[in-house]
Amino acid sequence: MIALWYGILAFMLTTYIVLDGRNFGVGILHWIVARNQDERRQVIAAIGPLWSWHEVWLVGTGGVMVMAFPRLMSASFSGCYLALMLILWCLLLRGISIEVGGHLSDRLWQEFWDAVFSNVLLAVLFAAALGNVGRGVPLNTEGTFYLPFFTNFGIRGNVGLLDWYTVPVALFGVLTLTAHGATYLTMKTVGPVHDRSVKLARGLWLAVIPAFVIITVLTWFVRPELLAGIAVRPVTWATMLIGIAGTYAVVNGFRYQREYQALLGSTFVLFGILMTGAAALFPVVLFSTTDPNLRLTAADCAAPDYSLGIAAAWWFPALILAVCYLVIIQRHYSGKVNVSKDNQGLY
Amino acid sequence: MENTFTDPALWHRIHFGFTITYHYLFPQLTMGLAWFMVYWKWRALRTGDEKYNRAARFWARIFGLNFAVGVVTGIPMEFQFGTNWAAFSKYSGAIIGQTLAMEGMFAFFLESAFIGAFIWGERRLGPRTHFLTAVAVATGSWLSGFFILVTNAFMQHPVGYALAPNGTLELVDVGAFLLNPWALVQYAHNQCAALVTGSFVISALGAFYALRGRHSEQASVYLKTGTLVGLVASLLVAFPTGDSQAKMVGAYQPATLASMEGLFHGERLADVSMIGQPNVSQQRLENPIGLPGALSFLAYGTFQSYVRGLDEFPKDEGPDNIELVYYAFHLMITLGTIFILVMAWANWKRWRGRLESSTALLWVLMLAFPFPYIATSLGWMTAEMGRQPWLIHGLFRTNNGYSQVVSSGDTIFTLIGFVGLYFVLGLLFLYLTGREIYKGPDGAHGAPGHQEVPV
Repeated sequence: MIALWYGILAFMLTTYIVLDGRNFGVGILHWIVARNQDERRQVIAAIGPLWSWHEVWLVGTGGVMVMAFPRLMSASFSGCYLALMLILWCLLLRGISIEVGGHLSDRLWQEFWDAVFSNVLLAVLFAAALGNVGRGVPLNTEGTFYLPFFTNFGIRGNVGLLDWYTVPVALFGVLTLTAHGATYLTMKTVGPVHDRSVKLARGLWLAVIPAFVIITVLTWFVRPELLAGIAVRPVTWATMLIGIAGTYAVVNGFRYQREYQALLGSTFVLFGILMTGAAALFPVVLFSTTDPNLRLTAADCAAPDYSLGIAAAWWFPALILAVCYLVIIQRHYSGKVNVSKDNQGLY
Repeated sequence: MENTFTDPALWHRIHFGFTITYHYLFPQLTMGLAWFMVYWKWRALRTGDEKYNRAARFWARIFGLNFAVGVVTGIPMEFQFGTNWAAFSKYSGAIIGQTLAMEGMFAFFLESAFIGAFIWGERRLGPRTHFLTAVAVATGSWLSGFFILVTNAFMQHPVGYALAPNGTLELVDVGAFLLNPWALVQYAHNQCAALVTGSFVISALGAFYALRGRHSEQASVYLKTGTLVGLVASLLVAFPTGDSQAKMVGAYQPATLASMEGLFHGERLADVSMIGQPNVSQQRLENPIGLPGALSFLAYGTFQSYVRGLDEFPKDEGPDNIELVYYAFHLMITLGTIFILVMAWANWKRWRGRLESSTALLWVLMLAFPFPYIATSLGWMTAEMGRQPWLIHGLFRTNNGYSQVVSSGDTIFTLIGFVGLYFVLGLLFLYLTGREIYKGPDGAHGAPGHQEVPV
């Protein structure tokens, strides 16, 4: 039951990052692929109608985390207090910028909100947070910790959120999500925005390959347990296969201009990387940088079986419902963005 | 126990109190407006009368702005369970996590999938599907309210739990937890109050247009629907839902009831005070004017019922801020009574066929819309401060619930951040809503055949 809920939690967080990650990526690329107001409206409209549906995955992840692993939620959320608050503020500004940017047809107003929208911090913070999960946090004997933004940039002992390992991970995250976002834009846009996105996406994906190798090597130095976990745990082979299939789809998609296939591939690549990481981590949920014995496992943090059982009984139907909503609604948003007929003036 | 400025618990409480009070200004209108729009869409389908579609379309735009602010201010609420109230989450996560997760999975997915289609998709979807998206959004918003109220009800009156061997709470009866009697009563009370907010806002805008002599057809729709629902909802808020809520407090939180009424000494024939200022150090209500026996009757059913006073409870087991609980409760009751009177007046005028021509009434309706917001905020202050010093009533103290690792310096820093961001957000919301109101329902937006220049 604990492994099931660990899997669900990893799945939900991964889904959130895959879905909203492309919005982060689009935000970062916004000013590069779109050079004038009309083009920028097109970009915003590409992510407009469903951003809150994506953000709900984060809310759902938070809810599932406190339900299934209360101790993990309480330790990690309070331990990363400032970073999480910064994420909340960025999410708030991001949501508002999408919603209000199109409300006035005024150049200054739109430029201002477009600038607010292009926020690189979200990708940095989420990726750095994942880097911290891999590296570990300074857990004490009570199973809590407190992480400032930075200390001495070392990876052992009294670490901060940013160090020589998590900063490269954050950069890797920014790079990958930007590539993901660019791939999404190739599918949704037309004209010059589309052409620029194609060019960028190709370049970015090429850059992801060496970056991925570097991060893997760094991880091997920092947390050899993770790579050892991959070797012995068959489920990671399946998730790696998803990643490899995704890579193939991305390459193929760009070669034959099958934009939908490229996006699907890029989704699978991210999904594969994140789920492999999560599966390799299990059964640990938080490593300790101060004393290896202080680490927290999923079993240490889990709610009692009755709670988990009840929740499993309603979670799966709820997921099916959620997917149904998406299927119903996606038909209306599929295909290229058409700013003029898409809506009643907004976005 | 003493709440001084060096006490981290105080800052965590202010942090949560500020962000939740601000947040709830928006969902109450979301929940209050949602069924109005469903009703108008339904009327439009049935009668083919375009004015109902125009009404739904116009309010959908205000709804959309309101919804967006509700979403972005709502996400910090869930996070704060972990960031600011880590010890509480660890203690009770296995229980309250159920409803928090359900809210995301059942309510938010539904709401957020269809909100875009509802607000911007009318032309693409056709009238029937568009009507269904309105129903989906309304259902989602009311479901979300239910799950949050169940969560709160567990903190007010814990049921369905047991103490686990590791010292945390575990769920033993999910049915009892979800159908907590406190939750059902509180949900009914809260949703009626949301409808009061919705109907006052709609009536106020109708009155505004009527007074200015603009959009008179729309003004009439808003005034008619708004005042009728307003009267029904205002009555339901008081009776039976508010009444049952008070009885619930009397049964399970007697010290809170005593604080709400400023009853320092227990007695039979206990008064409901109409006027009076609690003097906590002297243990008495000053300048009291009350209805004799009314409290005994309201709380326990007979005038002779004995109501326990504050002197019968240990000091650390009752509210630590008696004055605020007392005033919050009394102001809420006063406002609630005024709402009934205003809406009764409006419906009398309507019956006489003079709803849209009575200038005095229109002015009152126009200016009344902020007060339901104040009343709901006061109601929640009564519930939440009345629950003190407990985070989970009788089980877990507020002072044990906050995150030990987060310093007051951090909490104050992020509190300042939230105050600043929310101030700007408020200005933005008022400006954009004001703009919609100024443009009005008969303006450029989305009238059939009209194409606004895409921007």
